[in-house]
Amino acid sequence: MARAGGGMGSAVNVGIAVQADWENREFISNISLNVRRLFDFLLRFEATTKSKLASLNEKLDSLERKLEVLEVQVSSATTNPSVFN
Amino acid sequence: MAIPVEEAIAALSTFSLEDEQPDVQGLAVLLSSERYATNSPIEYSDVAAYRLSLGEDTKAINQLNTLIQEGKEMASLLYTYRSCVKALPQLPDSMKHSQADLYLETYQVLDLEMSRLREIQRWQASAASKLAADMQRFSRPERLVNGPTITHFWSMLKLLDVLLQLDHLKNAKASIPNDFSWYKRTFTQVSTQWQDTDTMREELDDLQIFLSTRWAILLNLHAEMFRTNTVEDILQVLIVFCVESLELDFALLFPERHTLLRVLPVLVVLATSSEKESESLYKRVKINRLLNIFKNDPVIPAFPDLHLSPAAILKELSSYFQNFSSQTRLLTLAAPHEIPPRELQDYQRHYLILNHMGTIRAEHDDFSIRFASAMNQMIILKSSDGADNDWSRDIKGNMYDTVVEGFQLLSRWTGRIWEQCAWKFSRPCKEPPISDSQQDSTTFFDYEKVVRWNYTAEERRALLELIGYIKSIGLMMQHCDTLVSEALWETIHMEVQDFVQDKLDKMLRTTFRKKKDLSRILSDMRTLSADWMANTSKADPEQHSLHQETEETRQNTFYPRPVAPTAAQIHCLQFLICELVSGGNLRKPGGLFGNNGSGIPVEDIKQLETFFYKLSFFLHILDYTATIGTLTDLGFLWFREFYLESSRVIQFPIECSLPWMLVDHVIESQDAGLLESILIPLDLYNDSAQHALTCLKQRFLYDEIEAEVDLSFDLLVQKLNEIIFTYYKSCAASTLLDSSFTYACDDGEKYFVKPLRFDAIFKLRRVMILGRTVDLRSLITQRMNKLFRENIDFLLERFENGDLCAVVELQQLLDILELTHQLISRFLELDSYSLMLSEMQENLSLVSYSSRISSQMWNEMQSDFLPNFILCNTTQRFVRSLKGAHHNSQRSSVSAGKPYFYCGSHDLTMAYQGLAGLYRDFFGIPHMFAIVKLLGSRSLPGIIRALLDHISSKITAMVPKITALQEALPKSIGLLSFDGGIAGCQKIIHEILTWEAKSEVKIEVLHDLKEIGSALYWMSLLDIVLVSIFP
Repeated sequence: MARAGGGMGSAVNVGIAVQADWENREFISNISLNVRRLFDFLLRFEATTKSKLASLNEKLDSLERKLEVLEVQVSSATTNPSVFN
Repeated sequence: MAIPVEEAIAALSTFSLEDEQPDVQGLAVLLSSERYATNSPIEYSDVAAYRLSLGEDTKAINQLNTLIQEGKEMASLLYTYRSCVKALPQLPDSMKHSQADLYLETYQVLDLEMSRLREIQRWQASAASKLAADMQRFSRPERLVNGPTITHFWSMLKLLDVLLQLDHLKNAKASIPNDFSWYKRTFTQVSTQWQDTDTMREELDDLQIFLSTRWAILLNLHAEMFRTNTVEDILQVLIVFCVESLELDFALLFPERHTLLRVLPVLVVLATSSEKESESLYKRVKINRLLNIFKNDPVIPAFPDLHLSPAAILKELSSYFQNFSSQTRLLTLAAPHEIPPRELQDYQRHYLILNHMGTIRAEHDDFSIRFASAMNQMIILKSSDGADNDWSRDIKGNMYDTVVEGFQLLSRWTGRIWEQCAWKFSRPCKEPPISDSQQDSTTFFDYEKVVRWNYTAEERRALLELIGYIKSIGLMMQHCDTLVSEALWETIHMEVQDFVQDKLDKMLRTTFRKKKDLSRILSDMRTLSADWMANTSKADPEQHSLHQETEETRQNTFYPRPVAPTAAQIHCLQFLICELVSGGNLRKPGGLFGNNGSGIPVEDIKQLETFFYKLSFFLHILDYTATIGTLTDLGFLWFREFYLESSRVIQFPIECSLPWMLVDHVIESQDAGLLESILIPLDLYNDSAQHALTCLKQRFLYDEIEAEVDLSFDLLVQKLNEIIFTYYKSCAASTLLDSSFTYACDDGEKYFVKPLRFDAIFKLRRVMILGRTVDLRSLITQRMNKLFRENIDFLLERFENGDLCAVVELQQLLDILELTHQLISRFLELDSYSLMLSEMQENLSLVSYSSRISSQMWNEMQSDFLPNFILCNTTQRFVRSLKGAHHNSQRSSVSAGKPYFYCGSHDLTMAYQGLAGLYRDFFGIPHMFAIVKLLGSRSLPGIIRALLDHISSKITAMVPKITALQEALPKSIGLLSFDGGIAGCQKIIHEILTWEAKSEVKIEVLHDLKEIGSALYWMSLLDIVLVSIFP
């Protein structure tokens, strides 16, 4: 039977390496998690900003349309100045 | 670094990112979809570091994984293959002389496609030989190399699955041999001028045999495998592994479950193809276990619109594999179309989601509550630092358990949808309902039979609801990705450490004390994964033997480290556990953990088994986002490549498309509970577009999906607007309806409107569709504004085509519209009603006092009302005179508008029409009220002015007529003599008055007088009304 771990004669070395690996990976996963949090934040930020811009856009739109009406009314008055004299 | 990363990131959460938009859509953006746990990103090159002599095995795994990847690409190529021949032009007779050119062109076009098929043929041959070689190397009893590991098993199974899928696809796609024969024909035409075509011809013949032989790939694989007769071992091991995994069904997500189900029948056929081994197979796996698995799942999804049936595969393959044909028990399994009716009902009950909706709903509600509470606890935990260890571990452990449960739920649900689809595809509906479609029944596509007519309304509802659940749970879990990942890593880390440091420690000291070989495996497991530094109670592994007595206190003192084990660590741990329980002997009878041949106590085996399966689930948890992505991907509901080909059309109409059918169902049913899921089907399009681009890698599919999305989104917005408008209109109409009337009415309930909620839809400012953000709210507002204007225009036009009496109805309808506007304005920023009204009345100008209504009114008065109506003094009403000429003939009839232009619902429209009917035949005070209300103080003076002008012009016109009449009078009339009595006097008067000649004039004058009188009375009515309104 081929024994599993035939080369684990230097088990202590592997153990030390594994230990170091855990610690290194703690650092790596910490960084990568925080990068992901950063991106998550950015995504959320984009989403809310989009919503807010959309609501602003909506208000501007309706103002614009009101303004247009007013303009038409004013122009109807200025083209017939005689009415106001 | 000036500021620590954690603090900087934590500071981000102080930003307020409130968003009003409700979550009615599924996931649209995945932050990352990389799999770093289930697929090792570095191809297991770190396995070597653990010195387990797994080099050969790792190399084999990587080779198989590359093959799987290539095979998947081949499969998507085959799946999306569309016939080129259909597009080839025919030469008109006049151009017959250039036939040869056409052949050459055609050949070149087809050659490109055929070269791909040739590549597939070559690839499958090499894949089969590599797989066979791999199996042979690892199945030798003397075991010169370590392995195969569990990961290796999976790679073998997956490659086998890919080969099977390719084969199945090749069998199913009719256009491929079709294109090929065309290609061959052009080749014979073209090659006449070439030299040395023998090799090409040979190659062609080869390809033809490959394409036209059913199951050519599997046959080839079989031949490769049994060239040297030593693979039964590993086949049996694989079968045992499949059966055990399927029976346990713990660590399997649905894609893996389906893979195993697909592969199992093929494995069984391959394993029993030699006589001596079939007996030994059934010694290891009772045939009833196999039969049970095959019976439980008679249809298995393979491709979006293509399914597999184990029974059918077994039957078909039995004619190719002589030895297998003696397995009568497996061959008597019923294929999907042969299932007896009684069992059919059982299957129907099992497959149709409709029948499980109750449980699913309960599961969903329960889970979402528990997940939310687990999340809340996590947030509390985060905000309270320095929390004590036990408490935080409990919360994190709870979070972990909830996530595991969530994945299992999602997997089960999505699996159900796949399976229902496969079931529906296997059982097309017999008779499409012809009643509601004008087209003759011959034009029904097969696809319509399996999809469009195959889902009842309830089934569509259930499907939509389930999709909604899947998407919302997926979204919920995805949202807290970064919040929970630390807790998940920590829990997994703890589980692993707890096992290798504590449980293994105990086993080492008890069970394996005397067994040198096995205890070495155990200590290997500890070496490769133990994180001693994280265990605060013992810094040095050598010391642990001294601390035996403090075992209880030590147990819970791990320092939590939020780091997950790597793919390689899990891979090695699983391998070692297998080694441990099998004693390195794969041929061991019985299952992996089933048999106690190695002399390990049952409880230890149990612990090992639990940990073993937990390990394989860790992988899915570590790939958190990718797993959610897979589990909530429902894009397959759109794909229909297989049916497209068999129906010989370019694309099916949108009504046949399942996502649109679901949207349509919401619109048609107007079910209050479904309205908020109206956008869920659009997620299906998102998924399928993603699938088309990233998995199938076909641009044309994406284009088709995009076209369909464009169309369906437009339709959706339009219909949604209509629903919203109709609903609020009905509300307004029902509010304005006389309440005493509805009370008195027997069936007054029909005038009440069933409440619907659109709040969620009104808040959707960013809907994600195919990577674009659409502001649905602004679209709805835009269209709503347009709809209001159209409606006003419609009402005015209707008024313009009726007489003056219709003014009451006009006012009623405009009132309803105004109230509708008020109701909708609570949610949307609409243009103001008065503005829209004056815009449509064309009196925006500051200097004009007339409007469409006033001018129409004046027209009517002048041309119809004043000449044709007479006053009834007692009732104070004008009625149409019977003699008067009727103008109605010239009025063009208005086209009947859509119901939502009236009062919304049919019942309300009828009620209001009844009401308006009462006012249609006269003109009186109510009409005057309506006029005053409609015209207002701005246009009324205009009407009065016009009336006065009219009166004065009438008077001026009358003057000559009266003079003419005066002329007919005698110059003087004296006192009449009374000789003749009354009759005599009359006679004398008649003799004196010679008006007969001027009777025309007389009538005209009388008429004019009547008109003037009417006008005056009209004004007095106006006066009454004005006084009562503005006293």
